[in-house]
This record gives sequence, C-alpha cells and structure tokens, in this order.
Amino acid sequence: MKKIPKRIWTAAALCLFAAAVCVYLGVTFSSMWKDQPIYPGPGVTEIQMLSDYNPGLKGTHGDTEVYVLDSGKPGAAVLVLGGTHPNEPSGVVAAVALIENCQPKTGVLYVIPRANHSAFTCTDPQEGAPMFFTIATPGGDRTFRFGSRATNPIDQWPDSDVYVHRTSGQTLSGSETRNLNRAYPGSNSGTFTERVTYGITELVKQKDVKITVDLHEASPEYTTVNAIVAHQDAIELASWASMDMQMEGMNISIEASPTNLHGLSHRELGDFTDTLATLMETANPSQGRLRGRTNADLVVKGVDKYYVRARKAGSVTVEFTEAGIPIDERVARHICGIEQLCKAYNELGNEQTIELDGLPSYQEILTNGIGYYLSPGK
Amino acid sequence: MDIELLVLLAMLGVFLIGNLLLKLPVSLSMILGAVAGALVAGEGVPIRHLFEGCFTYVDTILIISTAMLFMTAIQRSGALEALNALIVTKFYKVPALMLILLMFIVMFPGMITGSSTAAVLSAGAIVAPILLKIGIPKARAGAILAVGAIMGMAAPPVNIPAMLIAGGVDMPYIGFEGPLFLITIPCAIFTVLFLGLKYCKNLDIEELKKDLDMEVGKKYGFKLYIPILLLVVLLVLTRAVPKIMPQLGTPLIFLLCAVVAVFTGRRFNAWEGGLEAMDTTIPVLAKLMGVGMFIQILTLTGARGYIVVSCLGWGLVALYIAICTIMPGFGAVSSYGAASVMGVPFLLVLLDTGDQITIAALLSFICCLGDLMPPTALAGNYAAQIVGLKYKPVLKHCVIPFLVCIALAVIYLLNSKYMGFLTR
Repeated sequence: MKKIPKRIWTAAALCLFAAAVCVYLGVTFSSMWKDQPIYPGPGVTEIQMLSDYNPGLKGTHGDTEVYVLDSGKPGAAVLVLGGTHPNEPSGVVAAVALIENCQPKTGVLYVIPRANHSAFTCTDPQEGAPMFFTIATPGGDRTFRFGSRATNPIDQWPDSDVYVHRTSGQTLSGSETRNLNRAYPGSNSGTFTERVTYGITELVKQKDVKITVDLHEASPEYTTVNAIVAHQDAIELASWASMDMQMEGMNISIEASPTNLHGLSHRELGDFTDTLATLMETANPSQGRLRGRTNADLVVKGVDKYYVRARKAGSVTVEFTEAGIPIDERVARHICGIEQLCKAYNELGNEQTIELDGLPSYQEILTNGIGYYLSPGK
Repeated sequence: MDIELLVLLAMLGVFLIGNLLLKLPVSLSMILGAVAGALVAGEGVPIRHLFEGCFTYVDTILIISTAMLFMTAIQRSGALEALNALIVTKFYKVPALMLILLMFIVMFPGMITGSSTAAVLSAGAIVAPILLKIGIPKARAGAILAVGAIMGMAAPPVNIPAMLIAGGVDMPYIGFEGPLFLITIPCAIFTVLFLGLKYCKNLDIEELKKDLDMEVGKKYGFKLYIPILLLVVLLVLTRAVPKIMPQLGTPLIFLLCAVVAVFTGRRFNAWEGGLEAMDTTIPVLAKLMGVGMFIQILTLTGARGYIVVSCLGWGLVALYIAICTIMPGFGAVSSYGAASVMGVPFLLVLLDTGDQITIAALLSFICCLGDLMPPTALAGNYAAQIVGLKYKPVLKHCVIPFLVCIALAVIYLLNSKYMGFLTR
C-alpha cells in the first residue's frame, strides 16, 4: 500500500482543527441570535412589527417589534428608537425601561427597542467587545446583548468601497453602508439596512409621529456628547427640554443637525416627514478609542482609568472621574430627556399633547439604579 | 507599571522572538503575540476574539486575491508587454514627463479604490516592466511603485482613512480634494524623479526595443488592452455615476477583467495562472489575519487605550512627534486601523489649531504612509514581489521619499489655518 505523504497528514490535521474551531465558534456566535425577553408593562396596548410598515421586511432579520403604548385618549404620537447602534447600550436599556414602566395619559408612544435588529446578532471586529452584559434587578440579573454598530454582514454584504447615500448622493466610507443611522430615509427596494429605515420612515408618516427621539451613545472624546441633536424644526423643542434637564442637574447641550451630513435620523426624518426629529447622545466609555480593558464591567459601571487620565490631560471635554459614567446615569439621561421633550412639546402650546406617566425621575434612577425599574423577568 | 504596558511588551516581545529568533512567518508570530497578550491579561486563549479580529480584513483579502488574479492574467495574455512597448516608444524622448505619467498611472487605481494594494497589483504590474527596461534598478523601481500606490491611496476622490477619520467626528467627506491633491501630487512627482530620473537620461530607443516585445501588440491589436480598459471604465463608472451603475465592488471588477483577459491575447492556462496568483498572495493574506488578531487583543486588553492615551498626554509638540512616528508606525499593523484608532483622537486634539478638513486630510495622508511599514508593509511587499525582490531593499529606497512626505505633511499641518480656502 502506498504510504500517505506526511504533508497530507499535516493538512488533514489542520483541517480537522479548523473544523473543530468553526463548530465551537458557530455555537458561540449563534448564542447572540436569541432575542432577550422584554416584559411589556401596564402601558403596552399592542405589539406590532416593523414589517407592518414595510412588508418587505417580513421574515427577515430586519423585522423588529414596535411596542405601542396607547393612552386611549387623543393626543400626539411620539416615537422612541433604541438599538439603532446596539453597541450603544443605554439606548436599548432606556427603551426597554419605557416599555416596562411608561403609561401615557394622553397620546400614543411607539417604542422600537431593537431598531437595527440584525446588528444585535454580532459584535464589531477589532473592538474586543463583550457579547452580553447584565444589570442587577431586585429579582436577579437581567441580561442584554452588546451588539454591533452595523447590520450583521450575514444580512448585508459585501459593502461597497464607498457608501453613496441614496437621496443626497453624499459619499461616506464603505463601512457606513450597513449603518442604520446613515441610511434614512431608506428605500423599500434598497439594501437591507435601507429597507429597515424605510419601515421606520413609513411608521413616522403613517402614524403622524410628532416627535422622534433616537437614543444613542458616543465616545467620551467625541465632540457631540451629552447633547440633544435637533433638526432645525425641532431646535425650539430641544432648547426647552434641555433647560428642564439642566434644572434636574444634567449638563446637556443642543446641537443643530448639520444640513450637509445626510442619512441620519435627525436630518432625514426631519426633512422627509413632519416629525420633530431629535437624537440624544450620552458618553459611553465602552465604545471610545481611549478606553482600557473592554468588558461587560466597563459597559455597566463605566469606570476607566485611561479616560480619567485623558480628562486630566485635557483630551476629553466631558467630565470623567474615577467614579466613571455608569449605565444608570446614561439611561437616566435618556429617560429624563424623553420626558422633558414631551413636556416641552405640550408647553409650546401644541394642540395635541403627549403626557407620559410611570417613569422614574433622573434622581430616582441615580439613587436606585436602572435595574430597580426593570422587570425581574419570569 | 500599568498591566496594559506589560501586555503590550509581552505581545511585542513574543512577536519579535517568533519572527526574528525562531524565524517563524510574520503571520504566525503575530498570532503568538496576540495569544501571549491575552494570557498576560488573564483572558486565557480567547478563541472568539482571535477569530473575530480577522474579519475586518475579509473585504481587503478579496480585493488582494482578485487583483492578483487580474495581474497574472494580463501578464500571461501579453497585454503588459504590449503596453510597455507602446509607452516607451511614445515617450522616451521626454523621460521626466514619462516618469511622471507613469507615476500617475500607478496612482490611478489607488485614487479610485482607496487601496494601495489594488494600485500596486494592477497599475504597478503594468508600469514595473517599463521602469526596469529603461534602466531603473529593481529596488528603486519597487520603491517608486510602493510610494506611488500610497500616493494614489491618499489622493482623492477615494481616501478611506480620511473617510474613517471624518466619520469618527461626524464630518462629511466633503472638501478633502484640495488638501489631498496639494500633498499627494508634489510628493508623487518628487519620489519618481528622485528615484528614477538619473537612470533615464539619453535613452537609446533601439537598445530598449531589443528588450521589448514589439510583436505581441501587433499580433492581437486593440483587443489585447480590453481587460485594462474595462477595469478603468468599470472602476470609474461605479464611482462617477453610482446611481446608474450597479455597485459591482472592486473584487468582482478585478475578477471580471481577469476572465476577459483569458480571451483577448495569448492563450494561457487560466487554472495554473490562478494557482500561481494565489500561491504568491497567501502569505500576505495570512499576515492580515495575524494583524487582525493582534489588534483585537490590543483592544480587548486595554493596550490600545494605553498607547493612545500615552500619546495624547505628551503635550502638543510631542503629539506632532507621535503623529509623525507612531501613527505611520501603527500602519505596520493597519493603516485603516491607524486612522480609526489614532487619527480620530489626534484630530479632536488638533481641531482648534487650524482648518479642520485640512487637518483630517493630512492625518489621513500620514496614516496611508503606514502601508510602507514592516512587517505588513502591504504596498512595499507587493511592489517588491512585482520587481522580484524581498521587501527590505525596496523599503530602504522608500526612506527619503517617506521623510519628505512626512515633512511636507507637518509643514502643512502647522499652517493648516491658512489652507481653509482649499476645502471650499
């Protein structure tokens, strides 16, 4: 019998090793495909799907829940987007807290907690991010996914070398092709990501949404942080809200949505629909470029020695101390911001009003932690 | 001492021991370095992170592989030889102009794709034989290709590091053309004349013709050039009229053109050509994989933050020094990584010192120079391969052009407040 050459054995052994690694990794990565449960609170009257607004999404990973909290009384409609970027976790947690606590007294609140549903199923290469993080609730730990900034390449790939925004023709790095917040107003015949934003834009149009709040986080060294970014039509609203937020003890600024930066929710929803489009940013050290060790602790506690040093060196404008910027504080800012935007809308003398009840205050969340207001699960 | 510094030292130490002492391939040494870093940081062997780190380069790997297939195809079809003969016979009387035109040809694919690798492997492969035939030594010819490809990568309209830096601060990629042209064109012209001109005086066309294949062009005529023209047309159309032209993607464009080359010139065995192309390219692809793992572990363990914050803490003068040294040095790992990891924080610190778009453009230019940095040295590696050398002698000749590029970039950076008119 002919002797099998040594290199064949080596190749076979390497192939077997690679196969074993692939199986292990397949199991590891597929753990992110399961949606973490959200427990609808007393205010939730209906759970729709985004495919109700863009049927092309049905059966795809782009389809996602739209929680409807209808007061049953006439009033304005408000849309809150969490999870546009799942690597900005306070937006997701704040959206879930709304769903589980809020009870509108007038008007309707729509909440999409996982706006880019696909992006929750992977993490960004070279970011060293954790797949999950947990928040302690009175009934035990509640697990959330820490996803990617962009749509999972399984759903949309390859990226073009240069991303050309559909309606404006603006060019951006090809890596932005799968970024939900560069794909507005979307298209029902466009890319996977554009079909998702098209669904959101349709919801805004069909439900005559008066205020849209897109919840985000940014690196602490970023210039637009601890801020409300507002379309020019929403500047007055945001200014009123920010004054009330400052009175509650928050440092918050207003940024006008740049007219020449396209694809973002605050620009395109403001231009293409009648909504007052806003976006809120908090400082998240777990996505910054200056951060130290990256893990779930950093996501939740927000403590990072390198940001402290960078702040002392003047490289970071946001206040960053040894206490860090915990997720409790970041979520509190978002929830308080949403509440204040709604109050400001009512105070500005609009005919239809939106009154939210059942939400913890900024100080209550700081005192008790956001876990206190999350359902312990079943 | 910070644990992150220990991690960094362990990673670099194991990499150097693996590569220099044990003579392991760069790729394997980087993987071992990454594993060592994870172990020192107490992360065990994080298979998921090692695997995930590679994924950044999937698109780059596709571009490199298909560009290599294209290059092999046009070499074997005879298109390269025919084009060489054409350019030399038309321009031999004005060597300086010929060299500058050749440099622009090298730059062109980089300007369109934003990739120095694509430039070296497509236009570089076309220009290299001409440079060698007119008498420029191999190492200098390789250096011209490497620097030219990087100038193309940095030149507008497509500069990916600039897009990454701009994206990091929500700055639209608008107005970059002026500053980028102002830095890339003079640097490209200087490089090609400095490295090549003294070898190109008094060219004897009759002597050159002896080395050129004057027949293949005559035999197959215009159709021989169809793959190259198709490449230019598809690359330009996908950028110029993106709303009309479907986005085929650079890998598919290279692949289509390679297939066309099989039918437009000399007959050759496409399967063998493909195997040869992949054989030569796999070591560089493996390096990219190793680099991906290395960066992921740097980030996971906090060593990346240690590097960036250390640079930022040194004050403005030291910051400029870091921009000139560490930022291109990071290109040894990845020039795109340098743009994202270092370019964005550096831009934020420099925002108030001058014109913001000009600063972003110049930082991106310096990041692009990282493609000359060993061990990855993507541009240098492939340029060396094309002229048939190891990359060290090629990189040696890149030193002076590199220093001139850096010096000019710093002069512009210091005077960026006067350059705002270029961005309007």
